[in-house]
Amino acid sequence: MKLLTCPLNGKRNISEFTYGGEYHAMPDHLTSSPRDWAEHVFFHDNVAGIVTEWWCHTASSFWFLAERNTITDEVIRTFKADEIYQQRVEFTAVASETQS
Amino acid sequence: MKSRLSAPYGTLIDRESTIEFKFENKTISGFEGDTIASALVANKQWLLSRSFKYHRPRGPLTMAGQDANTMVQLPSAPNALADKEVIKEGMLVTGQNYTGSLEKDSGALLGLFSRFLPVGFYYKAFFKPRGMWEKWAPLIRKKAGLGIIDQQLKSPYYDKQYKFYDVVIVGGGPAGMQAAIDIAVHDCEVLIVDENPILGGSLNYARLDTEGTRAKSLRTELVNAVEANSNITVMTNAVCNGWFADNWLPIIRGNRLYKVRATHTILCTGALEQPALFHNNDLPGVVMSSAAQRLLHLYGVKPGSAAVILTGNNDGYGTALDLHDAGVEIQAIVDLREAPDYDDIAKAAVARGITVKTGYAVYAAHSSKASHITSVDVRKIISQGVCVDDGEIINCDLLCMSVGYTPAYQLACQAGGQLSYDDQSAMFTLSNCPDTLHLAGSVNSLWQIESVLAEATRTAAITSNALGFTDVTLGEAIPRGNISPNHPWPIFPHPKGKEFVDYDEDLTIADIVNATGDGYEHIQLVKRYSTCGMGPSQGRHSALAAARIVAAATHRTVAQTGVTTARPPFSAEQLGHSAGRSFYPARRSNMHYRHIESGAEMLQAGAWFRPAFYKQDNITRQDAINAEVRNVRNNVGLVDVSTLGGLEVRGPDAGEFLNRFYTFGFVKQPVGRARYALLTNEAGVVIDDGVACRFGDNHYYVTATTGGVDRVYQNMLKWNAQWRLDVDVANVTSAYCGVNIAGPNARRVLETVCNDVDLSSAAFPYMGVRIGSVDGIPARLIRVGFVGELGYEIHVPQQYGAALWDALIKAGSEHSIKPFGIEAQRVLRLEKGHIIIGQDTDAMSNPNEVQMNWAVSKKKPFFVGGRTLSELEKKPSLRSLVGFIVNDMDSPIPQESHLILEGNQMTGRVTSCSYSPTLEKAIGLAYVSPSSATNGSSIVIKSSNGILVCATVVGLPFYDPNTARQEL
Amino acid sequence: MAILDPTTAPRRSQLNQRHVSSHALFKELGSNLVVSHYGDNDSIIEEHSQAQTLAICDLSTLPRIGFKGAGAPSWVEAQKLNLPAMANTTVLQGSGSLVAKLSDQEILVLSDIFAQSKDVFHLSEQAKIYHKNYDKQVYSLPRDDSHCWLAVSGTLASEMFSKICGVDLRTHKFSHSHIAQTSVAKTNAVVIRNDLGSTPVFYVLSDISGVEFLWDCLLDAMQEYGGYAVGVSALQRLTKEH
Repeated sequence: MKLLTCPLNGKRNISEFTYGGEYHAMPDHLTSSPRDWAEHVFFHDNVAGIVTEWWCHTASSFWFLAERNTITDEVIRTFKADEIYQQRVEFTAVASETQS
Repeated sequence: MKSRLSAPYGTLIDRESTIEFKFENKTISGFEGDTIASALVANKQWLLSRSFKYHRPRGPLTMAGQDANTMVQLPSAPNALADKEVIKEGMLVTGQNYTGSLEKDSGALLGLFSRFLPVGFYYKAFFKPRGMWEKWAPLIRKKAGLGIIDQQLKSPYYDKQYKFYDVVIVGGGPAGMQAAIDIAVHDCEVLIVDENPILGGSLNYARLDTEGTRAKSLRTELVNAVEANSNITVMTNAVCNGWFADNWLPIIRGNRLYKVRATHTILCTGALEQPALFHNNDLPGVVMSSAAQRLLHLYGVKPGSAAVILTGNNDGYGTALDLHDAGVEIQAIVDLREAPDYDDIAKAAVARGITVKTGYAVYAAHSSKASHITSVDVRKIISQGVCVDDGEIINCDLLCMSVGYTPAYQLACQAGGQLSYDDQSAMFTLSNCPDTLHLAGSVNSLWQIESVLAEATRTAAITSNALGFTDVTLGEAIPRGNISPNHPWPIFPHPKGKEFVDYDEDLTIADIVNATGDGYEHIQLVKRYSTCGMGPSQGRHSALAAARIVAAATHRTVAQTGVTTARPPFSAEQLGHSAGRSFYPARRSNMHYRHIESGAEMLQAGAWFRPAFYKQDNITRQDAINAEVRNVRNNVGLVDVSTLGGLEVRGPDAGEFLNRFYTFGFVKQPVGRARYALLTNEAGVVIDDGVACRFGDNHYYVTATTGGVDRVYQNMLKWNAQWRLDVDVANVTSAYCGVNIAGPNARRVLETVCNDVDLSSAAFPYMGVRIGSVDGIPARLIRVGFVGELGYEIHVPQQYGAALWDALIKAGSEHSIKPFGIEAQRVLRLEKGHIIIGQDTDAMSNPNEVQMNWAVSKKKPFFVGGRTLSELEKKPSLRSLVGFIVNDMDSPIPQESHLILEGNQMTGRVTSCSYSPTLEKAIGLAYVSPSSATNGSSIVIKSSNGILVCATVVGLPFYDPNTARQEL
Repeated sequence: MAILDPTTAPRRSQLNQRHVSSHALFKELGSNLVVSHYGDNDSIIEEHSQAQTLAICDLSTLPRIGFKGAGAPSWVEAQKLNLPAMANTTVLQGSGSLVAKLSDQEILVLSDIFAQSKDVFHLSEQAKIYHKNYDKQVYSLPRDDSHCWLAVSGTLASEMFSKICGVDLRTHKFSHSHIAQTSVAKTNAVVIRNDLGSTPVFYVLSDISGVEFLWDCLLDAMQEYGGYAVGVSALQRLTKEH
């Protein structure tokens, strides 16, 4: 069984973790095209190479990110989410004409 | 036991202790430490079982537990390896895979028809015409099976244990012991795993010098050093059955599976001796030369009286010396090599005057009796695999084969190591192992003991450098010698065939060649088509020969034909090791035993135990459920809802957080009120629902479904890891026990035990929430229409659960309060048209389809799934979840997943259906096409046995459409 | 000792059914009932020596509380408690209570096993006053109701754990005052090493609704080594040895 290093709990069997899908930045939910939104929701890049993924240490419910090489299955590093998400995300109000 | 030798032969047996057991009803006597096979061979019983396909007689081949020839039947276990299984007093052993008797197997006639059973025969013969296979299969399976399973057997206790080591060394031979000794001088934990009963590996039986003393003295020296070092742990009789990522090693010993994590692994797994291919090479009495040496040295058994050695290297000469020392007459050494390059041992054998025939092959083995070798046909080789037409017959009762080895590569390959064939040495070699996996000894194609020990020391240095104990400069890699023990072509096709490539599957040279002729040229395809290497020994003795034959037949090099993948497990493992003690967590409410005392029939919903219904004397299950339903509708009932998910969402951004997470609006929700909370994912699919109770400006208590809460909680945390709102989410599912008290009399009952909350409808209306106490227990009260009656959900700290239950049952006794179970709850909720997420929804359901658009706010800047739902709105709906009532009470009640038909077209399915005691009709929910979704539409349901049931679509809810009753 | 009946107490351990059928005698610690020992009074001595080798004890009715949020650690510290420097470690307080840091934003406070420390009570009361509006990033967690609290004690405890837990809990790898948030018998658990006297002791806090399952798994795993359930009196005696 593979090992994964949780930034909070250290090196653990990967069975202690839950996979949370590929990390991507969400496109603007109001202005992005339907195609781009569909890409975001339904398609995965599935890159052969280094990808960033969400992982959760199940016992402590701690979410973090991992960079993994999908060719060698080597985890290059794991890090806390606040490395990427540093401030509060705001959503602007819906413009009235976009309402149906 | 005339064939027993005296000490020092027989290191594994205790001659003082005789053990008797039965083989095929004959009493056999052996010594403690004997395996079934060694004891039988000592009693001249070579025939152990019959082969898989042709029922050929088979006896020991490797004496190392590596082949399928020795599979015998024990009362408790089929397919026991007779050369591995140690004898016990009174043990009952029989052969396997024969009809009639082991000696005279009528099934062996199949062998006569073998030319009509070519490779791929089953595929070709039994699949046409269609349906034929079903008729043939039982017959074939009966004929071609392995052992018999005792289905009455009570399984013994199997379990698992984790272990942790800095270094795990697989194989306790000279390389493994030397490496362990060198590493363990540092402060680290080293484990040696060996599948044999004692350490030593080949030192226990091989001949390293002309005198035959070096192996023993070296073994003693190494074992003493291992035993003296407290950093080294030794596990013998233990098999490392695979290699998994990051050196995760399953090691099986007895009834326990050890899950071992190593920082580094060193494989000293040795090499497996390979058979030569000639006519009747499977006769009992034809053995690997190492098997003869094991019989001599480990068990003190003289394997024959007149032996022929077939060799392609100098090791065969060592075997000849060993046998000769033990008093076995050596009829001849048949050396495949035209001009052998002798070492000292070979020279010593020649010096003893043993007949040596160089450039000769054993072309065929013969038996005058059916089941043991009596002579060999020895012929001069004229070209690769071809002999002269006339041969010399040499009588013998033992033929030892010493034509080469294959490294025990399985674990290394599982780790990503590459196996390739080197034409120069005619051998498979390993390369490209991961950084934390090392090889030492013959698995790495080193054959001289000095090289093996030197390489072990070097590997130990690499490992201790990597572990940070040392930082030494490494010397040159130990060169692989230029004399290979492998003969490139010990393969001699015979006009009558029966030169077995794969003993397990009864495959001969022609079978492999024919597979390539049928178009399967890659070795992986040959394996699947011919089944070569798919038997219990997993190609350990067939992979090399098969690769060579395929290469020759397709005019390529062995390297070009490829090798098959070696997957775990290395050896067959008992199901008990995977199925043994497993953990299935079970969750119980604090009121669990109150339910049992009240006669509840418990069922497990996910991990939770829940009361299905409460049994009552003299009435059926269905009547008991109906009575529970009616009691709620007409009086008052109590149900345990402790399993319901509970999440505390607290902080200045709590409302904003829920606004983004759920579909509804929550920011303006008044304190003291509850609001329905529907959850969609980014694809707009409904994945959970619950109720958000606002207890303060910054405090919401949100319920979630029993099965969904863990995922909802995880999702909440994941979203807020991104949004970074000033809010905290805590999963308090288990911290609160809950009940729902429901029915027209609910308020009257609750009033008697709750006096700090004004329960009047004006003060505490429908969808209100309050904090108070019930019988002195701190409680959260939520007025929801859970089952569509006046009702209160009461949540209290977990350890008060049973006390709350007691208080309400006592308070309600005046009104004949009755508990109700999950079955009644489902019926009551279905009557109200409440959907169950995961039962009435699937992986595609959006809120519009399940008539939940009212719970989706369109005024919010954002919520998860919002954008997708607005896109979906632009498209026509494909289906609708509707309520239906079965027209005719005499129709069978449809069940979940029964199809909705429009003509011959399947247009939907039933998701819930039940008899409603309140409506006295069968009601249900179903997905139907939009054209059938209007009230009054007729739908046709294909129910069990194809019976068509007619039903009418009706508006939801079925019961109390104005919701007057829950708002009392 | 008066015979105390746990089945009518307002707060009831989920394990009471099992304790009662094993002839447990209860004693009152603080305002809660805890198993003192099983069988008769003579068994206290035997249980004490068993606790040194391998035993399990239910402490689930003893006080404990948690706090989460960015402001939680500094607030707990302001209540005059010593905080561990590192996440996943503990600090024993002068009062006997144990403060555990589960992450940079999460604190768990356990009572001493005599229930003499008032820390948990004090924190709980203070939180009700100062954090009832949830506007200062301090959020209390009802750990006494969400999590059971079991103690596994003795020199063989880590060997037993290796049958049901994938983290290396051997005493030389998992030292006193360390915490592992992990899975024990497929159940999420917080394992805290907190030796009593000279005996290695591991506290296991895990979902309270699964405590009966976990209890049975632990008993099954310790059977091989002769371990069994003991009352809190045996653990209290451990604290007196050094």
